[in-house]
Amino acid sequence: MWIKHLTNFFTAIYTNPTGRVVLLTLYYLAIIVGLIIMYGRGNFTTPKFVYQGF
Amino acid sequence: MKRMPHLAAAIVSFFVLTLALIGLNDYAQSIEQEYVNALAPLNLSQTLNGITLQRAALYRPDLLLVYGSSEMTVENTPYQAEKFFATYPTGFTVFNVVNLGAGSLTMAEDLAALGPDLKGKKVVISITPAPFTFSALTEEYYAGNYSRLHAYGLIFSPYLSTGLKFAAAQRLLGHPKTLQNDPFFEFTLNHMVDTSIQNQALYVIMWPLGELQTEIMQLQDHAEALFYLRDHSVDPDVKRIPQQIDWSKDFQDALAEQKLHTQSNPYGIEDWRWKLFQGKSEVPYPAGSGNAAFLNFLKTSEEWPDFKVLLDVLHELGAKPLILSRPVNGGYWTAVGVSEDAQNAYYIKLHAIVDPYDMTLVDYRQYTNDIYFSMDSVAHTSRYGWVYVDQTLDQFFHGNLH
Repeated sequence: MWIKHLTNFFTAIYTNPTGRVVLLTLYYLAIIVGLIIMYGRGNFTTPKFVYQGF
Repeated sequence: MKRMPHLAAAIVSFFVLTLALIGLNDYAQSIEQEYVNALAPLNLSQTLNGITLQRAALYRPDLLLVYGSSEMTVENTPYQAEKFFATYPTGFTVFNVVNLGAGSLTMAEDLAALGPDLKGKKVVISITPAPFTFSALTEEYYAGNYSRLHAYGLIFSPYLSTGLKFAAAQRLLGHPKTLQNDPFFEFTLNHMVDTSIQNQALYVIMWPLGELQTEIMQLQDHAEALFYLRDHSVDPDVKRIPQQIDWSKDFQDALAEQKLHTQSNPYGIEDWRWKLFQGKSEVPYPAGSGNAAFLNFLKTSEEWPDFKVLLDVLHELGAKPLILSRPVNGGYWTAVGVSEDAQNAYYIKLHAIVDPYDMTLVDYRQYTNDIYFSMDSVAHTSRYGWVYVDQTLDQFFHGNLH
């Protein structure tokens, strides 16, 4: 029952032009945030070496 | 907007993302400013390989950035600058950006990435005669000190001249292993071998991508600093104990302690190092027998052109550096057949390169024959030598070095 209410709710928003843009914006932002979480962390490591400058 | 909801959504998303990243940048900078004093003695790898903590340190009135190599760390002694100034006795401490095997080129990349934040700022560039006179820095050392963020910060810097960037590109191309997994960067560098119109045009086309990548890496650097502070308990307050330094006493105590560690040879080489020296049974070598090799290395060392790039970066960004060389370990080098005249050639060439830049240069030449200044042939600073260095750093910070 609640799924039907939810579906009707989103359908009502999506059929509204402004609401559609808002939903799409949230969708794009979610993708961007997901990509940042998955691939955004930098790699600052450097190869190890044995110092022999003595 | 009605007909292009996806385009409108994409534009709004981009705008929101940009605002969020600007907010992240500002937030991270404020946190880094708050914690940088506490992070200074930790010698984090992020300090070395990133740029944001160094940038935060530049804006602290009580931190002096020191860029250097093994001469800053090998001798584990309370006279090491980081420990000597740990409680801000005269109002400052050092912020070390030092690592074993660091050379002029990686320092140049690092400082270039700081950009206009360097303008008018005091920084210390610590060097030893070794890579200029007899011991080339290996590819492993360069790779171990290489930071992609720094290299991009140099090559794509909007604040450095085209000539300098193209000259630096030539130097970076001499280390192909660090470019293996970076085809975009390698392609860019390969087209910076000369300043022809085509190459300059190609650089202009590549620049936006390079600059975007640099900005992304800086944001990632901020994130790493924030992650570190999230995962570790760091007290931003540091202990400050103002006190008068009794330099005479420190010189006396350090010398006495150094003598206790150099009893196996007459050259001031520390006992544990002398033990490892393969050629000690043949010392002293015939006078002058080592001159040719020494002078040839001095003439051809790859460290000189890298050092020139470093000086050019400092000059173009308006920094106020102290170039702090260590003295040649005269007693040792004479014993292995390098005459005083040949040793002096290092100082002459060093001054010939640095003096035109009107930068403060301290070479401790007068201590060349003080056998206790260095602990080994590479001129790593001994306990006793450290007191001289500390005194110089103190004078430089307070504007008393001329």
